[in-house]
Amino acid sequence: MHLKYESQLREPLVDGIKDYHQVTEDIVRPIEVKPSKLWYICFFISVAFLMFGVYSVYREVVYGIGQWNVNKTVGWGWDITNFVWWVGIGHAGTLISAILLLFRQGWRTGVNRAAEAMTIFAVMCAGQFPIFHMGRVWMAFFIFPYPNTRGPLWPNFNSPLLWDVFAISTYFTVSLLFWYSGLLPDFGTVRDRAKTKLRKKLYGILSFGWIGSTKHWQRHESLSLVLAGLATPLVLSVHTIVSMDFATSVIPGWHTTIFPPYFVAGAIFSGFAMTQTLLVVIRKVYGLEEYITMGHIEAMNKVIVLTGSIVGCAYLTELFMAWYSQNKYEGYAFWYSRANLFSPYGWAYWAMMSCNVLSPQIFWFRKMRRNLMVTFFMSVIVNVGMWFERFVIIVTSLYRDYLPSSWTVYYHPTIWEVGFYLGTFGLFFTCFFLFSKYFPVIAIAEIKYILKTTNEGFKAKVGGLEAQPVEEFAHDYAH
Amino acid sequence: MSLLADRVNMEQNKHWQSFGELNNSDAFQKAGKDEFKEDLPFEGKEGGGFFKTPTPRRDFLKYLGFSTAAAAIAAGCEIPVRKSIPFANKPEDIVPGVADYYATTYVQDGDVVSVLAKVRDGRPIKIEGNELSPITGGGTSARVQASVLDLYDSARLRFPTMGGKELTLEAADKSIAAELAGIGGAPVVILTSTINSPTTLQAISQFLAKYPGSRHVQYDAVSHTGMILANEASYGKRAIPSYRFDNAKVVVGIGADFLGTWLSPVEFARQYSKNKKIDEKNPTMSRHFHFETVASLTGSNADERYLHRPSETGAVAVALMNAVNGQGATGISDPKLKAGIEKAAKELAANKGAALVVCGSNDVNVQVVVNAINDALQAGGKTIDWSVTSNYKQGVDADFAKLVQDMNAGAVGAVLIHGANPAYTWFDAAKVASGLSKVKLTVSFSPRIDETAKLCKYVVPDNHYLESWGDAEPKSGYISLMQPTINPLFKTRQWQSSLLKWSGAATDYLSFLKTYWFAKLGGETGWDKALQDGVINPATEPATAGATFNGGGVPAAVSAINGSKKGGTTELVLYQKVAIGAGQGAINPWLQEMPDPLSKATWDNYVVISPTMAKSLIGVDVTNNGQADDYEVNPPKRQVTVKFNGQSVTLPALIIPGTQINTIGIAVGYGRNKEIGLAAQTDEGDAVGKNVFPFASLNGNGVQFFCENVDVSLSDDPKYVIAQEQTHSSYDTPQGKRVEVMKELTLNDFKKSPDDILKDREHELAPYGGLEKFEKQGTIYGYYDKPGIHWGMSVDLNTCVGCGACVVACNAENNIPVVGKREVSRFHDMHWIRIDRYYSGDDIDNPTVVFQPLMCQHCDNAPCENVCPVSATNHSSEGANQMIYNRCIGTKYCANNCPFKVRRFNWADYTGADSFPHNQVGHISEVTLGMNDDLTRMVLNPDVTVRSRGVMEKCSFCAQRLQEGKLKAKKENRPLKSGENNEWDLKVACQQACPTNAIVFGNANDKNSAISQMRQSNPYRLFHSLEQLHVLPNVNYLAKVRNRDEEDATMEESKGA
Repeated sequence: MHLKYESQLREPLVDGIKDYHQVTEDIVRPIEVKPSKLWYICFFISVAFLMFGVYSVYREVVYGIGQWNVNKTVGWGWDITNFVWWVGIGHAGTLISAILLLFRQGWRTGVNRAAEAMTIFAVMCAGQFPIFHMGRVWMAFFIFPYPNTRGPLWPNFNSPLLWDVFAISTYFTVSLLFWYSGLLPDFGTVRDRAKTKLRKKLYGILSFGWIGSTKHWQRHESLSLVLAGLATPLVLSVHTIVSMDFATSVIPGWHTTIFPPYFVAGAIFSGFAMTQTLLVVIRKVYGLEEYITMGHIEAMNKVIVLTGSIVGCAYLTELFMAWYSQNKYEGYAFWYSRANLFSPYGWAYWAMMSCNVLSPQIFWFRKMRRNLMVTFFMSVIVNVGMWFERFVIIVTSLYRDYLPSSWTVYYHPTIWEVGFYLGTFGLFFTCFFLFSKYFPVIAIAEIKYILKTTNEGFKAKVGGLEAQPVEEFAHDYAH
Repeated sequence: MSLLADRVNMEQNKHWQSFGELNNSDAFQKAGKDEFKEDLPFEGKEGGGFFKTPTPRRDFLKYLGFSTAAAAIAAGCEIPVRKSIPFANKPEDIVPGVADYYATTYVQDGDVVSVLAKVRDGRPIKIEGNELSPITGGGTSARVQASVLDLYDSARLRFPTMGGKELTLEAADKSIAAELAGIGGAPVVILTSTINSPTTLQAISQFLAKYPGSRHVQYDAVSHTGMILANEASYGKRAIPSYRFDNAKVVVGIGADFLGTWLSPVEFARQYSKNKKIDEKNPTMSRHFHFETVASLTGSNADERYLHRPSETGAVAVALMNAVNGQGATGISDPKLKAGIEKAAKELAANKGAALVVCGSNDVNVQVVVNAINDALQAGGKTIDWSVTSNYKQGVDADFAKLVQDMNAGAVGAVLIHGANPAYTWFDAAKVASGLSKVKLTVSFSPRIDETAKLCKYVVPDNHYLESWGDAEPKSGYISLMQPTINPLFKTRQWQSSLLKWSGAATDYLSFLKTYWFAKLGGETGWDKALQDGVINPATEPATAGATFNGGGVPAAVSAINGSKKGGTTELVLYQKVAIGAGQGAINPWLQEMPDPLSKATWDNYVVISPTMAKSLIGVDVTNNGQADDYEVNPPKRQVTVKFNGQSVTLPALIIPGTQINTIGIAVGYGRNKEIGLAAQTDEGDAVGKNVFPFASLNGNGVQFFCENVDVSLSDDPKYVIAQEQTHSSYDTPQGKRVEVMKELTLNDFKKSPDDILKDREHELAPYGGLEKFEKQGTIYGYYDKPGIHWGMSVDLNTCVGCGACVVACNAENNIPVVGKREVSRFHDMHWIRIDRYYSGDDIDNPTVVFQPLMCQHCDNAPCENVCPVSATNHSSEGANQMIYNRCIGTKYCANNCPFKVRRFNWADYTGADSFPHNQVGHISEVTLGMNDDLTRMVLNPDVTVRSRGVMEKCSFCAQRLQEGKLKAKKENRPLKSGENNEWDLKVACQQACPTNAIVFGNANDKNSAISQMRQSNPYRLFHSLEQLHVLPNVNYLAKVRNRDEEDATMEESKGA
């Protein structure tokens, strides 16, 4: 019998032979060198998209929502579809940082920083839609419960849209705090390595005077746990509340009690897919394959196939309930407007079905889970599918609801609706490129924290122990 | 001690705050000197540059001052100046904010409706029906409602012209008088549409007397020549009798759209609806058979409709005559049609003396046959009243054809044209144009440059009727008076005054009119009374009388019909739309945007085809869900080319069930001259629709509006967008019939089990406490009492004919913007009330049709209210769902959550009411912009907010009228009256406009109100749309009952579901 220092079932979380310095070098290096040409090209493309989005929104704000093709029957179209989509994407970050932290999942360390950044940027993008889908956005402040001279006149606390405001803003605040508190030790590291005055000053400010004292570490750990505790319910609550925008309504196809869990599962599903998309690129571009390992990729693919299947169950449950209730309005919404491939939006439903339910089943195979190309391709497919899910829910429910007289003409977006969406991509990637250039994309401190237990370098050092029989070790230890 | 001394004493007292101050210690002195611990941030003299100094206070103030001033100037420049001028001398009878109502008369091309003009601050803004008129009883039509907008039409001519150049009235008078004198005895012709004004006719005859050999020709675009001449042959009277649909138990229509466009639709709709109202205790109804070619409003309301080819009209009439006479329907091959004729004949024969047959044919022979049928049915004196003639249409096409001939022959010296527009409406417009060019003097009185005015040398524009004096005699003995409600807006003059002037009379038309009526009414007092009432009625209603029928012409007529041309493969019918008519409505944006009752299309004409023809012609099988969906959800439609006799037109094809399978229909009245106004142009600058009058032809004496054999082919032209406000027409879905939306049944069913609907509702609501307890038990929320007023509305689907008068009335009352075709096609229309039209039944080519007016249902548990994040839509204590525009931030969540989809969003700055300048770009149509000018905006109702971009709006139950009515009751210190003993403090706009009184509105908490009475007396037919949702609408409907033989399966199915 031999001692086992390291799990034989789990593969290492950090590949290669690393010491603390090497870790710092690997992760901080991209921040300290000039960005590559590719970075500039990508960054400016992102900014161009952002500018197009700004112009699209400008048109909509100044000329009216009529710049879009939403109409008297389909009041929400691409705008709210994109809102729900972006919010959903954000969820993976919180799940990885908060819930996995509480569950002490070591593998989260490689990916949590980027995932959290993604959360924050995704929520920023999401927030644009409910704001700018308003006909009179300049009056948007009416939605806040502020004291006023009109009575005071409060917002309507019954409205799910108001709940959204609270849910999203809380979510954004907590996610930002969590992310930033995690960044403090790393900013300290970057500051300490800084060679120019400006960098020193800037990162000095950003690090909030982190000196790595035991007191700092102790407080940092406590804060992380507290924030993780706060963020955990948010993972469930935010998309639950978003789903209530629909679930509390009377529209067949929206009025569905299954929505909260189904939306949460869908959110995690799409969030993990988006994380995959980004990480597959980042690990390549910044040479971080040893920190974001195939093990990470595989773990996330497992989450994808799990949540994808939950979502699939929800789809089938909806169809079943629509039949089982024998409610003709529900029946029409689910069986005709959606499941019937030959109805006007049938293609969207089946695009959703094949992207979200059928294709992720490929991840039952280990080989596929560990295949980068497949992973990347699937991660994109999943987010396309999840976009269609929201589109299907919003548009196919509305366009043919209760009164056949109001059934509308085909809803398709105008260039300005598409432009708004592209603009949020611009915003997202502009932020993400800036983040990846100026912030450590992997949590250095946390990697160091797990390095002892998982890396080859340490394994080599203690390898002798494993060769020793237990009795011998016990004997040595006793003396 | 005096007060002064006291004060002196106080001032001399030493006040101190600390011992230091009292003793004036060193420490205190130092502290006083160093009061400011740091130096004030003055700009350092020793230099170091601007940027290095601490914020320079003076500079800061300078910049602050400059930027404030700059901002003030910049802001000041942007604020538009709005002029608001108070009365320097307030007119005695005008109270700002209080409307005056003047009785006047809507007259257009012979159509006469007695109306009240609502005048606010000197501007007529709304037309209401005059309830004192025994003919219309307060009913109106869409065109009457829209006529107020024509007054403020920016395309109106503002001055007389000669050859297109401005002229003063005096100069025009002089010049025309000189020309009249110089025509050298050649005859002068006054060409008008039907004139039924006694004084105008007198003025015309005075004028004609001055020019011997002259004549007055009446020309109606769509005339009733056939009837007039047939009546001359049958009864010796060149006139049209009064029809009494209210006396008829069986009505048979043969192509006569008497509820929409035929003769006097408002009057007939009112009569017709009387026998469609159901007394639930003793349900009886008239029965209406309709034989038609292309789906019409009337045919859609019929209990039973049969379709035939237009060339068969005569054959149908003959067969019906034979069948009535017990000889069987001979000469009809279509078995369905034949059975229908026999059935109708049987019913007619069984109800002699209470039966009526009307026919829309313009063929004298057909009308002679129809007269023979009516005679056989003893209709004279019962359903046809010869004691009072109808004077709406008097033109005989042959007269006009003769005039065209004479003009072309150079035999006419001068033509004075009023009302008629033959250069557009005559099938051979080129002949009219060439004729007019050969006439020395041509004068048009048209208020705008229409097709005919364009060809005339002089245009001396007539006043709008709201600027005019006048009278009309729509039916003999029944007078309706016209009085101006505003000074003429432009340099125009009533055409009668012009005529009088040119005939050398010294009087103007007003004194002429007064002289005429003073004599008849016994002076000023009688005149004033009549003017106030707006109508002069016979002291006692004349007894109905028949006329001696001379059947001598019948055999000849029958043989002429039998010998007439038989139709070819495809036949074409030209029809009039309810809103546009023969083109009169084309100038009016409200009418252009009013959805056609059948097609629900706006802003275009199109080729109407049957579902069967659609399959072969445009490759759309509407029974195939995929193809039907594809057709419905895509506004661009395939175009087809119709060719006949050298004429050709390419138009998009719309599938309208209720159309004979080998027949197509195209509406006339489109393709107008663009100069008549923005409403007649598309945004691309083309004319709206295409003109199909050239397809008509003169057959003997009358113009026939059909072609027996046209060539129809699919065109290669790209698809063309048709803007429809409703695309899906069936409430039957693959998952079941949506009977919660609409309930209809047959009279037999209703008699057999009258409480079917009630039971059905009870069954549906049983899980939630049943009907009785549904309100309280159907929800988890609390129940609230509803004390005081609770508004309610009831719409009787049995009497609603779907004419659309309410839609336009609502436009006018509530300042609803016109959005133009492009926006309608994007489903951005703004109508607060719409008329949903559903088809049902198995025969796809000839379904039954039901109309359901739908406005905000003012739900007591409104789904829109609880989703608004800012409470911009909420519930009033009187049960109305209200919109607070300035609270609305435009999330559109309320519209999404409205099961009735009645909420309308301001997608763009349609009204110019927005605070953002220069933002009316993008999808806003020219016609919408055109309605934002100062002239057109005069039509706006000042009591109703003009909504700006980005806010939601919807039916408010005419909140402004409710307020006015409540105040009226309050001032008189009594409870509000809404229909108790037919006394009304208020009527909402749609209710007021309705010619059939299908809409009843009032306080549902008042047991005596009309609405309560209506609900109490119709427990069996009453239903709320989508009742099962527990939204608790305050609008209820009364189910449609059809007087058909077969039993309806609707209710049976719903029980299974």
